[in-house]
Amino acid sequence: MKLRFGIVCFSLLATFFAQAQDQKSILLINGFLHKGNGEILETALIGVRSGKIEMVRNSLATSYKREEWDTIIDLQGKHIYPGFIAPNSTLGLTEIDAVRATRDFDEVGIYNPHVRSQIAFNVESKVISTVRTNGVLICQTTPRGGSISGTSAIMLMDGWNWEDATVSSDDGIHVNWPSSTEGGGWWAEPSPKKRNEKYEDQKAELINFFSDAKAYCDGGKKVDLDLRFNAMRDCFKGEKRVYFHANDVQQLLDVIDFVRKFELPFPVIVGGYDSHLIADRLKEDKIPVMIGRVHSLPEYEEDPVDQPFALAAQLHAAGVKFCIQNSGDMEAMNARNLPFQAGTCIAYGLPAEEAVKSLTLNTAEIIGINKDYGSVEEGKSATLFVSDGDALDMRSNNVTLALINGKFMSLDNSQKQLYEKYHNKYQKK
Amino acid sequence: MRSIIVLVTLIPFYFLGQYRPTNGVTDSKAGYIALKNAEVVVSPDKTIKNATILIKGESIVDVGILVNIPAGTKEIDCSDLVILPGFIELNSDLGLPKPSSIGGYNFRPQLESNKKGAYYWNESVHPEVNASDSYDIDTKRVEELIKFGITFTLTHHQDGIFRGTGALVSLGMEDVNRQMIQPKAAQVISFQKGSSKQTYPSSQMGSIALIRQFLYDVKWYSDGNSKETDLSIEAYLAQDSLPILFETKDKWEILRAEKIAKEFGLSFNYYGSGNEYMAHDQLNQVNGFVILPLNFPEAYEVRDPYVARQIPLSDLKHWEMAPSNPHVMKTEGVDFCFTSSGLKTSDQFWKNLNMTMQRGLSKQDVLAALTVNPAKLLGVEKKLGTLEKGKLASFSIYSADPFAGGKLLEVWTIGEQKVLSRAPEQDILGKYTINVDGKRYPLEIAGSKEKPDSKVSVIKDVKDEKTGLTKKDTLQVKAFTQLIGNDLTLQFYVDDENFKGSMSLHGKVNMRVGVLFGDASLPDGRWVQWSAVKSDKVKENKQEPKNPEIDTLICQRIWYPHMAYGFDTKPTSETIVIRNAQLWTNEEQGVIKDGTVIVQDGKITFVGQGGFTIPTGARVIDAKGKHVTPGIIDEHSHIAISKGVNEGGQSISAEVSIGDVVNPDDINIYRQLSGGVTAAQLLHGSANPVGGQSALIKLKWGATPEEMLIDNAPKFIKFALGENVKQANWGDFNTVRFPQTRMGVEQVYYDGFHRAQEYMEAWEQFKSDEKGKVKQPRKDLELEVLAEILRSERFISCHSYVQSEINMLMKVADSMGFKVNTFTHILEGYKVADKMLAHGVGASTFSDWWAYKYEVNDAIPYNASLMNEMGLVVAINSDDAEMGRRLNQEAAKGIKYGGMTEVEALKMVTLNPAKLLHLDDRMGSLKVGKDADLVIWSDNPLSIQAKAEMTIIDGTVMFDAQKDKELQVVNRQEKARIISKMLESNDKGEPSKPFLKKKAKHFHCDTMGEEGSEGENQH
Repeated sequence: MKLRFGIVCFSLLATFFAQAQDQKSILLINGFLHKGNGEILETALIGVRSGKIEMVRNSLATSYKREEWDTIIDLQGKHIYPGFIAPNSTLGLTEIDAVRATRDFDEVGIYNPHVRSQIAFNVESKVISTVRTNGVLICQTTPRGGSISGTSAIMLMDGWNWEDATVSSDDGIHVNWPSSTEGGGWWAEPSPKKRNEKYEDQKAELINFFSDAKAYCDGGKKVDLDLRFNAMRDCFKGEKRVYFHANDVQQLLDVIDFVRKFELPFPVIVGGYDSHLIADRLKEDKIPVMIGRVHSLPEYEEDPVDQPFALAAQLHAAGVKFCIQNSGDMEAMNARNLPFQAGTCIAYGLPAEEAVKSLTLNTAEIIGINKDYGSVEEGKSATLFVSDGDALDMRSNNVTLALINGKFMSLDNSQKQLYEKYHNKYQKK
Repeated sequence: MRSIIVLVTLIPFYFLGQYRPTNGVTDSKAGYIALKNAEVVVSPDKTIKNATILIKGESIVDVGILVNIPAGTKEIDCSDLVILPGFIELNSDLGLPKPSSIGGYNFRPQLESNKKGAYYWNESVHPEVNASDSYDIDTKRVEELIKFGITFTLTHHQDGIFRGTGALVSLGMEDVNRQMIQPKAAQVISFQKGSSKQTYPSSQMGSIALIRQFLYDVKWYSDGNSKETDLSIEAYLAQDSLPILFETKDKWEILRAEKIAKEFGLSFNYYGSGNEYMAHDQLNQVNGFVILPLNFPEAYEVRDPYVARQIPLSDLKHWEMAPSNPHVMKTEGVDFCFTSSGLKTSDQFWKNLNMTMQRGLSKQDVLAALTVNPAKLLGVEKKLGTLEKGKLASFSIYSADPFAGGKLLEVWTIGEQKVLSRAPEQDILGKYTINVDGKRYPLEIAGSKEKPDSKVSVIKDVKDEKTGLTKKDTLQVKAFTQLIGNDLTLQFYVDDENFKGSMSLHGKVNMRVGVLFGDASLPDGRWVQWSAVKSDKVKENKQEPKNPEIDTLICQRIWYPHMAYGFDTKPTSETIVIRNAQLWTNEEQGVIKDGTVIVQDGKITFVGQGGFTIPTGARVIDAKGKHVTPGIIDEHSHIAISKGVNEGGQSISAEVSIGDVVNPDDINIYRQLSGGVTAAQLLHGSANPVGGQSALIKLKWGATPEEMLIDNAPKFIKFALGENVKQANWGDFNTVRFPQTRMGVEQVYYDGFHRAQEYMEAWEQFKSDEKGKVKQPRKDLELEVLAEILRSERFISCHSYVQSEINMLMKVADSMGFKVNTFTHILEGYKVADKMLAHGVGASTFSDWWAYKYEVNDAIPYNASLMNEMGLVVAINSDDAEMGRRLNQEAAKGIKYGGMTEVEALKMVTLNPAKLLHLDDRMGSLKVGKDADLVIWSDNPLSIQAKAEMTIIDGTVMFDAQKDKELQVVNRQEKARIISKMLESNDKGEPSKPFLKKKAKHFHCDTMGEEGSEGENQH
């Protein structure tokens, strides 16, 4: 049975979502497309069939047959983006920060490469439902803690279960590079920070762990199974990324040496506060950076007040591949502000489409899902959304349509429901 | 007749201190002692050469050139020596036991005092503690101190807030009774609670409130109003007339203490922290002395540029300026003393004293700060401080002027001699010829008198291998030289035709005829006699004290504040005309295109399109394409607060005030200016149901704490509800303090307000009692503030989340007859917006925060819009140093969530917070007559693209994006300049220390203790 909707007026969309779930072919016309690869198409026509993007054309120069499409939507100039990606996030692993029972991201142990976040991902997370409504449709659900926190996975923000939601299981391990400073105490009794005198030892320990793991992996199947080392196998082969969480210049330079030593094919720096200082070396070694939360304070007293806002533009100018991530305080909930972090980068010198790229194609390339995700291009998964206006600006980010693998996604969430409930209460009075 | 005899016999007993029985015959002691021919520094202003000091017992009988020396006087020749009055050290816990807390360690909070006895309710208030009660001579530390030339020390228990009395002791080794000069010499107060484990106070503002409450209690008690006995208060009253020393850790703490001094008519002297120069223009209000530390910061190890980079500019600038601190104090007319506390060696002590002179102090200033000033401070200048007739015989004898490297030889403490090093009796420097076993060896003794350094010439035959001829070769060898008293040891190696090996000579010195002579042990083992006759003087390589270059200009490098982005001169209000801008007036005119704002004398004098004249001398800014808004006002901020945002030690802490602890040195002030913030309410945290009083400030960068406070600002106080006050997320040990449930929170309020009502009634009764029968009630700072709320003189800003508690507090308020002014955070405000409207309360909320704790589970980003639609006054606040500088973005989320208009959204961070703070008559909109607090934006202020280009407060440009770029360069240059200076110091091998990185900490609602939190943020 083929339902023929004709051209659906945008305002009516919400009402047919329930019925529209199983549409196999969708045609979006007259949208302002941000492809995610740096290009725009002001009057785009996008054809989606069987979850894939079949064509991306100019609406004005393309004729189509209405009967070939289950749904045709005239976007009337609204903005289309590839689904934004939240890399390095605890989304799906936490619900309420202060309630221990809801925290599932920090396992006991120092070297936990074998610990996998994919299987703990909560597809029904209420937090996730408030994040995707701002255009963030994919996340890298990432464990925390220890020297090696564990293995992350790339997940869609919708699905019946974690298997459904998985884009890429076990995409990489997360190494928390030893900090070159130490101390700090705990929050009620802080002590001064000082240079970490054990830094060299801790670095050596990490090198040791990787050396042992490499020897194990090179040894074939003759040795007994070691869960930790086994989980490292793909890192050396280049099938898993190694994410190095590091910020200051000392750490970053040591990471570069480390990567060279172990000839790691896919290293990624996460954080990289000082990365602009060694941009040429990162470029030369082709090491990409997931920059720290844009909306954060400068690290040092005399740093430019806008340094965290300007880092993206600095790396772009230097030719270093980067994307934006958001780890830190209240990170899961705050993932919905990723678009505005990218927007802030524009104000501080990043070209607008590069800002989109830093949430989409760049991220997809860095986490290794760019074959299917990260841009609106023919042949890729139809994972995209439509916003009333510029999605990177709070005033105009209003997501009215979202597709994940070609399926319309519910844009409802508990917060909207409460809003409606109390709005109605007061309207009735 | 009899009484006269008693008197006569008592006096010598007193002076000799021998009223105790001795075993055997009375100790033998010289009667008079005369130290002759010395250069005596009698006082800082008076030095006598060739003078004699005549002493008897512990006192100086006479001093001068012509001193009548009685028969039987022991005479000591002090030719070439210099005598200085003994120094007085004021900062010490010499001879006292280390403080320890009462009752040991307990994981659970200790809410009440563990001290047994009828003492004050707070353990950190213990004026009853006397240093003299437990003082005993600590020989090791006394020896350390006298090496600095110190002969008297004020020692006190360095623990607690009211610390009790300090004792003035002489640094003699014998007889503690004799050394105790004044058992109660001063009382000491501080802001640190020390070893007390009692939860209150947990912040500096708590300490301030506690000090004030105690002093009020003292007054009330001494007027006979109390029915109880308090031994602490009685002890304090007994020491009322003693000088007070107040310990401070920062320049602003001096100003904080001065406020207390003025309130109670007291005069404080201060233990300074060494950064007083940063507040140099504020310290002239100090009446007493400031005791300045000499342990200037050591240079950091800066050879590694990665490390150097991490050192904050403020630390570098302080390193450079610290030695100028005393000179700045002198320039400002502040009386000061020095303390050697923190210095390890006397070399460092003299070096640092010299450093203060290189920065502009005179020798007189330095001496005064070590002698007469501390004596004056303690009121003992009649006995101590100079070497005048009648004073105590405590002085130091140096081989030469100690400022020029003279060595400390002896210290006399109240007549007791302690020899540290003996001066050589004779000067043996010169050229000699040694005659030993018939052989001659030329000898040259150079170096210094105290440390002679010799070389012996040995002549050796050397065969030239080419020519085959033998040549005489003179070889100079170093000789070990030691002169002790009159005994000389010389030892050198010889390798010539006569001897091969060590030549060791021992001999006596007779410089009157210039001869050295004695026995020698030859390399071949024989003992022979030797002699050496002086042939010539050596030119003494005297280290003329280079007149060091005096650098007082360095003071011009004080910045306001003294850190990165500080002003080099304090900025002033300007006449500014901003033209062609889009004006967001927040008034009826709405948004004016191509408008002009004129600012004069700190006020807005024109807003509109045409019909104005440009005032003469005005700075005209063409703001074409730009936007001007009123300054952003943050209703909920915790930046710029010193040492503790929470006084969580008790459930009600209304007596504490953030206004007491405003900290102008927080870099986040500048960072928020860069985000257009001009005013903020600095709130107490949310650790208890009734927190502390707020400070309403303008973000005046480079100003003093007092200047930052808004004049005649309405009074505010922080209340809090929910998880934080019931300590839900504080761990399993914090289950002691009432309340632990929302049920208990309500009762805390009822209890507090009922007590406040009774308090008001008691005062009413007292005031209306004309017969004087009613005793004066105790002044209670906590209840005073609660009474202000009941009288509607103070507004409440209440941290709140869920609807039940919001509703509860409104009911409490209604029943007690006051109003809640603002619910802050108020994330479930949308559920009870109708009830809030009925109560007349406003709301200040987060734009979109949630999911960080259980009570924010129903938080929705539409909250602000819903409450706004309901007609409440709604603001968006930060509660976060980072978000504070993006409040325009946070406001813009109101457009996304719930569909506010742009003008409505902007009001959320400008006019509405002004209304909530009752400051809308002077802030919040562009209106003639209002304060000239405005921001020039690069773009629509609600756009993600908007950047604040200029932030103006009271007509003064506080942030200028253009200037900011220049300052970044200035900061870099300043850093490089000081680091290269530090490198020189590193190269010279001066003491240095590794850099300790302090993690930037920020206060949030739930931060406890005096230091900021770096843990999870629970708000």
